[in-house]
Amino acid sequence: MSNEHTVKSYEEELRYLIDSVIKMGSLTESQLVDSMDAIIKVDKDSIDKIIKSDDEINKFRSKIDTQIMTLLVKRAPMAIDLRETISSLKISQDLERIGDLSKSNAKKVKPLPLDLPEELLGNLKRLGELVIKQLNDVLDSYVNKNYDKAKEVWEKDEQVDDLTYIAMESVIDFLSKDKKNLDFSTHLIFATKNLERAGDHITNIAESICFLIKGEYLKGSRPKGKVIEK
Amino acid sequence: MELMNEIKIKSKNLNVYYGEKQALFDVNLDLNEKEVTALIGPSGCGKSTFIRCINRMNDVIDICKVSGNIEIDGVEINDKNLDVVSLRERVGMVFQKPNPFPKSIYDNISYGPKIHGKGETKSELDEIVENSLKKAALWEEVKDRLDEPGTGLSGGQQQRLCIARAISVNPEVILMDEPCSALDPIATAKIEELIDELKKTYTIVIVTHSMAQAVRVSQKTGFFHLGKLIEVGKTEKIFKNPDNKMTQDYITGRFG
Repeated sequence: MSNEHTVKSYEEELRYLIDSVIKMGSLTESQLVDSMDAIIKVDKDSIDKIIKSDDEINKFRSKIDTQIMTLLVKRAPMAIDLRETISSLKISQDLERIGDLSKSNAKKVKPLPLDLPEELLGNLKRLGELVIKQLNDVLDSYVNKNYDKAKEVWEKDEQVDDLTYIAMESVIDFLSKDKKNLDFSTHLIFATKNLERAGDHITNIAESICFLIKGEYLKGSRPKGKVIEK
Repeated sequence: MELMNEIKIKSKNLNVYYGEKQALFDVNLDLNEKEVTALIGPSGCGKSTFIRCINRMNDVIDICKVSGNIEIDGVEINDKNLDVVSLRERVGMVFQKPNPFPKSIYDNISYGPKIHGKGETKSELDEIVENSLKKAALWEEVKDRLDEPGTGLSGGQQQRLCIARAISVNPEVILMDEPCSALDPIATAKIEELIDELKKTYTIVIVTHSMAQAVRVSQKTGFFHLGKLIEVGKTEKIFKNPDNKMTQDYITGRFG
């Protein structure tokens, strides 16, 4: 926004809303990083902290809701301000869902044995790194209002799908070697699926950002990677 | 996406001068039939000047000079030989402040038809008065006191009386210059509801300073600035995602 509002307090309210979304985004990102770390290192001590951080994210969500309601009532925003307000609502919803998925993944660390073979976790780790990068990039495109970067994230979700497929395959291979692996393998499958879903929320955020910037939704359907259901 | 209606009024390279001062610059604007077009823009931007060209109200200002064209149904109305009285019969107007005649409610409505030679008999006039008041959603409130002065009504009722007066001569176009700016929210809501109903019969042009009102009542919106038409388009588009930065700055309250 190059020009400022004639009414300073309106400008401040919008700025405050955007700042809240950015802060919520960075909290969500740290939580995702922590939950990935916990899985890869099978670090059971960090679980509680991650679950707690989800409360913080949820609090942000309700704070943002209130800010949006106030803005709508007080200012009846138009054009770019309207799109800014609506996309804050949608982005905060997606961030909250990503937070839930990270929390769910942290909980899956508990039943994992400490001596998981490295080749089993390797692909999951790569997937986690990609999803973290995607979240980081999409938040970056929000902060800088960068349409091209948001669109790039949207397109790159195809790679998340592909890596999800590969990670699933390695867990299933491992499982098929010995049925006693069933219990924790199931947890790893869920964790993998959660990361894929987090990726989908990230593409939603990318779509909201593109809408915010250009006022129209991305056309056509997003490129899809391999389908996991088999 | 629904198709827009046929063009009722077309302005081509319309320029208006008040003495030395140019008030409108090459305005090209099409107004669709049986639709509401809202004109927005900061005070002094030319939107009222524009609508006053449509019924040649600017004629009464000596220093005012108009060049370019305005066509209604393809017929040029700036023609010197055109009968201005019959033009104003076809193009009615409602002003910012309700301005009923200091006469009875009945006479306020019947005056126009009488001077335009409509309604020869008392019963014909009665019918026009009743129909006009009904169309203006005022009939139920005033039917038992038609001989009371129009000036005794509330502001919102007076404005609906003025709308009834405008439609009593069966016009094709109604021009509204900030018709709700002196009204409370309830009276405003009633006028807006009425505009929605009237657009089934008439082509309506409304000047408003309320962005929300423009969104609520109009299908097309034109944004004026310093005498120029900056942007015109479907109302939804203008208020959600305008093409022009100046339009955006104005409707979002960023205009210096």
